Amino acid sequence: MLKYTLRRLLGMIPMLLLISIVVFFLALAMPGDPFSGEIDPNNTDPEYIEEMREKLGYNDPIHVQYYDWITGFVQGDFGKSVKYKIPVSDLVAQRLPNTLFLGIMSLVITYCFAFAMGMTAGRKPYTKLDHFIGGFNYMMLAIPSYIAGVFAIYFFSFQLGWFPFNGSVNIAVDEGTLDWWLSKVYHTFLPALVLGAMGTASYTQFLRNDIIDNSNKDFVRTARAKGTPESRIYNHHILRNSVIPLITFLGFDLVSLVNGALITETIFTYPGLGQLFLTSVQASDYPTLMTLTLMFSFIVLVGNLIADILYGIVDPRIRID
Amino acid sequence: MEVVPNKDPQLKTTKPPKSMSPWAMARRKFMKNKLAMISLVYLIILAILSFLAPYITTVDISRVNIGQMKLPPSSEHWFGTDTSGRDVFVRLLYGGRVSLFVGISCTMIILFLGVIVGAIAGFFGGIVDSMLMRFTDFVLNFPFLVFVIVLNAILFGKVGGVGVLIGVISLLGWGGVARLVRSKILSEKENEYVLAATSIGGRPNKVIMKHLLPNVLTTVIVQATILFANMIVAESALSYLGFGVPQEVPSWGNMLSASQQPEVLQDMPWIWVPPAIILVFTILAINFIGEGVKDAFNPKSFR
Amino acid sequence: MKNKRSFYWLMSLMLMLTLFLAACNSDANGDSGDGEDTDTEDTTEDTGSEGDSGEEASGEPQEGGTLNYAIDGEPEGILNVHYYGTATDFEIIQFAVDPLFEYDENLAIQPNVADWSTEDNKVYTFTFEEGIKWHNGDELTVEDWKFALETLASPDYEGPRYANVETIEGAKAYRDGEADSISGIEVISDYEIKITFDKARVNNLLNVWSYPMNRSYWEGVEVADILDSEKTRQSMMGTGPFKLTKVVPGESYQFEANEDYWKGAPKLDKVIVKVIDNKAVIGALENGDVDMVPVHPTLGEQVENMENVDLVTYPGLAYYYVGFKFGKFDNEKKEVVEQNDKYANLELRKAMYHAINRDEWIDAFFSGYGSKVNAPVPTAHWIAADQDELNDYAYDPEKAKSLLDEAGYKDVNDDGFREDPNGEEFVINFAHYSSTNPTFESRAKALTQYWEEVGLKAELEMIESSLYYDKLEKDAEGIEVYFGGWGTGSDPDPSALWKSDQLWNYTRWVNEESDQLLEDAIDIDVVGTDQEKRKEVYGEWQKLLNEQLPMLYIAELQEIYGVNKRVGGVEFDVSGSNSPHEWYIQN
Repeated sequence: MLKYTLRRLLGMIPMLLLISIVVFFLALAMPGDPFSGEIDPNNTDPEYIEEMREKLGYNDPIHVQYYDWITGFVQGDFGKSVKYKIPVSDLVAQRLPNTLFLGIMSLVITYCFAFAMGMTAGRKPYTKLDHFIGGFNYMMLAIPSYIAGVFAIYFFSFQLGWFPFNGSVNIAVDEGTLDWWLSKVYHTFLPALVLGAMGTASYTQFLRNDIIDNSNKDFVRTARAKGTPESRIYNHHILRNSVIPLITFLGFDLVSLVNGALITETIFTYPGLGQLFLTSVQASDYPTLMTLTLMFSFIVLVGNLIADILYGIVDPRIRID
Repeated sequence: MEVVPNKDPQLKTTKPPKSMSPWAMARRKFMKNKLAMISLVYLIILAILSFLAPYITTVDISRVNIGQMKLPPSSEHWFGTDTSGRDVFVRLLYGGRVSLFVGISCTMIILFLGVIVGAIAGFFGGIVDSMLMRFTDFVLNFPFLVFVIVLNAILFGKVGGVGVLIGVISLLGWGGVARLVRSKILSEKENEYVLAATSIGGRPNKVIMKHLLPNVLTTVIVQATILFANMIVAESALSYLGFGVPQEVPSWGNMLSASQQPEVLQDMPWIWVPPAIILVFTILAINFIGEGVKDAFNPKSFR
Repeated sequence: MKNKRSFYWLMSLMLMLTLFLAACNSDANGDSGDGEDTDTEDTTEDTGSEGDSGEEASGEPQEGGTLNYAIDGEPEGILNVHYYGTATDFEIIQFAVDPLFEYDENLAIQPNVADWSTEDNKVYTFTFEEGIKWHNGDELTVEDWKFALETLASPDYEGPRYANVETIEGAKAYRDGEADSISGIEVISDYEIKITFDKARVNNLLNVWSYPMNRSYWEGVEVADILDSEKTRQSMMGTGPFKLTKVVPGESYQFEANEDYWKGAPKLDKVIVKVIDNKAVIGALENGDVDMVPVHPTLGEQVENMENVDLVTYPGLAYYYVGFKFGKFDNEKKEVVEQNDKYANLELRKAMYHAINRDEWIDAFFSGYGSKVNAPVPTAHWIAADQDELNDYAYDPEKAKSLLDEAGYKDVNDDGFREDPNGEEFVINFAHYSSTNPTFESRAKALTQYWEEVGLKAELEMIESSLYYDKLEKDAEGIEVYFGGWGTGSDPDPSALWKSDQLWNYTRWVNEESDQLLEDAIDIDVVGTDQEKRKEVYGEWQKLLNEQLPMLYIAELQEIYGVNKRVGGVEFDVSGSNSPHEWYIQN
């Protein structure tokens, strides 16, 4: 297992390099100064630009530029945001906790809903309840998350007034206290619900089918024959077997969270990385844009890696590859 | 949005039984699936209406009608008019043109690229396989939405229009299909009929075309429906965020982006609810058809 | 005494212009509030004489309570009045700072913290109010102002305000490192300071930087480090009515009352500034999450119908126009080098003007919260010419057609559109900036339709807003007729936008008479210190532009605020709102 994990980790390195090269060339294609953000975009004096370009090394050969950039990047030097005029690393540090919090909460929501619905449907397949859950899942799959988000704001925030429509925390509460955490949860709940709902359908469906499959298997029959209570069979024997393959989805979830965060954070004015990404596109804040693009690619890469490794743990046959 | 391999294990189709042609059997099964048939009829009607839009309506859709702005639905304007005084119903049809066109084009290109890469990798194996698969992994590692937005931001102002969007989406989207086709071919390849065909000297492309692909086809068809739905959602989400098809082109996503104006969202539902409903129904329909196809080719399904 | 919360008017026009791009970018996400292009400068709640202020709230002023103030654009987070770049940042900063001078309802400058006297418009003596305390307890003295001026003039200064100290004698030498101090600044006592400008000007006082900077707060921080400092990002030091006590970056900002505020302790306990998305404005006002927020004209009607909210309007200082490109500009030579004659015919421009139904257009796209202008000066400004003296190019398609016929623009090949006098195809290529806001496209399209109705073929090109002003500046190929907007500050001098040697004279219109009038208006030998005289010269200039039509002046917009009825004591006029220490909340 260790060998397999190591192999996957090593395999990641060339991928990282390739991706960083692609991002680098995308940055070269962008106007202005996407790497450092040091050139004032409002200063159009050609002499000034030339002088800055020389100083920042933009006249060096491409591979030297790439090397300088990537070594800086590895050391946490992401340049300076054109829009906010602070180092991009500070900006990311401000926003990252929010996005992490949102991501974790949406995962929790996904799991809660998926377990509740998947187990109910799996225990009583082909009943009305099962069909209802199935239909509900189809709807969830079909409603794009941005439509769900807009509906959620208007329904839960404005019509019912249950949840706040923007922000990540109530400023009047002292940081670190229980109230502060509660306020964070309260603010994050709605975007997390929308984001979490995206993954729920496929989890539910998987769990349902797996439970139906398992309930016909020998070990379940044995348990039944021994007189184990039905609830114990489902909650213990079957669930344990059905949950294991589920964890392999975790990697894929990281990937869809990246995409989902862009939309959800923007709709809810939630100050995380996704919203930062979109504002940086709109404001032509290229240093921020580059950093986030590369960061998101890394997250996806790590997500895929986790998926692979978890696969390896769950299904040893894969390790041979 | 991400084209990830389907998580549903039931996806794997099994070999057809011998008695009746598998296609005929699947067709019969599909026809019996009411939900799928209704969905199919809905989609066909929608597509016909959309593609005939310029012939069945006479309105100039780009014209701004200041006197007729924000009108609620009436006999004259079935779905009312939007904030530019344009007829919502007509725009819906035109929007369908664009959305369906983008969806179909992206699906076609992605399938084309994905099947070719997957088939070649799966059939030849060895070094070709690992090279192609590394490349596929590489493409799969780009977060889809992020890169579409970045590429659009770079290409904006240089080349514009729907074509760019289709190109960008397709280039980033084929990885999942390639992976799926490859693994399907890998498992089919082990079957005796393929071994037999190659051992009697069948040329590789002929073996792929004649023997392997038809068997992979069911997987591809099911995947195509998933893709089609995904691509329509991708287009609409991008347009909603302002990075999709240009604003002056009506598409469902562009129409929905009007809901970002608070007065439209709260007081003029006729502007944005119709595209939302059509979009959701279309995706539902495509999903039902996909399920229907999957069921039809699955001899294990009893219902 | 009615204390106007003075708005930050002093930023020179030049500076404002450089901010346009930033402003329209920050705004790209939906049409948030005031700003597609120009009306974003710092005057978020400037001006207005017809404000039906939010004061209808009856009942007695009460002590205490928290006011939720919202801004509908994302701030950059530079919480430092000496460094900030966008209007949204200033909306946060304004609660904690107090400028030396303020502006009355006629935009005339008035003493606030400091009074002044001058004999010759070159040497000014300023006298500070005594006993004013900084938020940290330090006493405000002229040294703090000197410190601010020196910081702005420092070679390491990274903010955009050098232009506001440039005119002080010796500032340039200080910036170039040739002097250790600014020779034009002379401290007389703790409360008296003498400032000498490099020459006598009518607008020296309007231009000079008017915020002091606390010395002990910035002790140990190099000028080069100020912008990145925690003290700029996470806290603020001012003398204003409220103290910044907490920051959640990009999201919310909490202020508490400064009980020692020299004009009296604020009635409110707290002010919380929240950043909200434009699409949430209506809902947030309606359910009371937000007490005060700027509102976009298209939402005005809805806010007006709310039972718990008052709509406050007052005229803004920005105007929209349709410009023509008459040539190309050479930035090295500082002159227009190429001529473009396509739109040189005045009758053609007049016809295009008459073809536009401005009233209908403003009603349709700004819900009527605006009115047409006939010259490039908003009517609320004190230099605005008497409107009766300007031609009103009213909507008259028949007149437009006959003007075109006379000028030789006739349809000779029967394609339904007119050809130019030489019989060549004539197409108006009209450019407008785009963003995610779909109404931009339709309002631009509507303008082209007006022209098509009088037989002029017109094509619309939407250009990404981040590239738009850049293209205008560089006279990019293909831009012939364009949509734009400018804002005016308290210093009305429009030279930077109109003189033929200026980069921002986007139309590349060259007219000696106009150049001369603009020079006269700021020439101390011509107008002296007499405002009336100055206004007269600007009136002449506006009449000239109204006749020559280098651009078609379209509209000026009103500024609109939604104010919850529970808020009292808020007043708006031409200079902005009153000081927030007078605001209160009643139940």
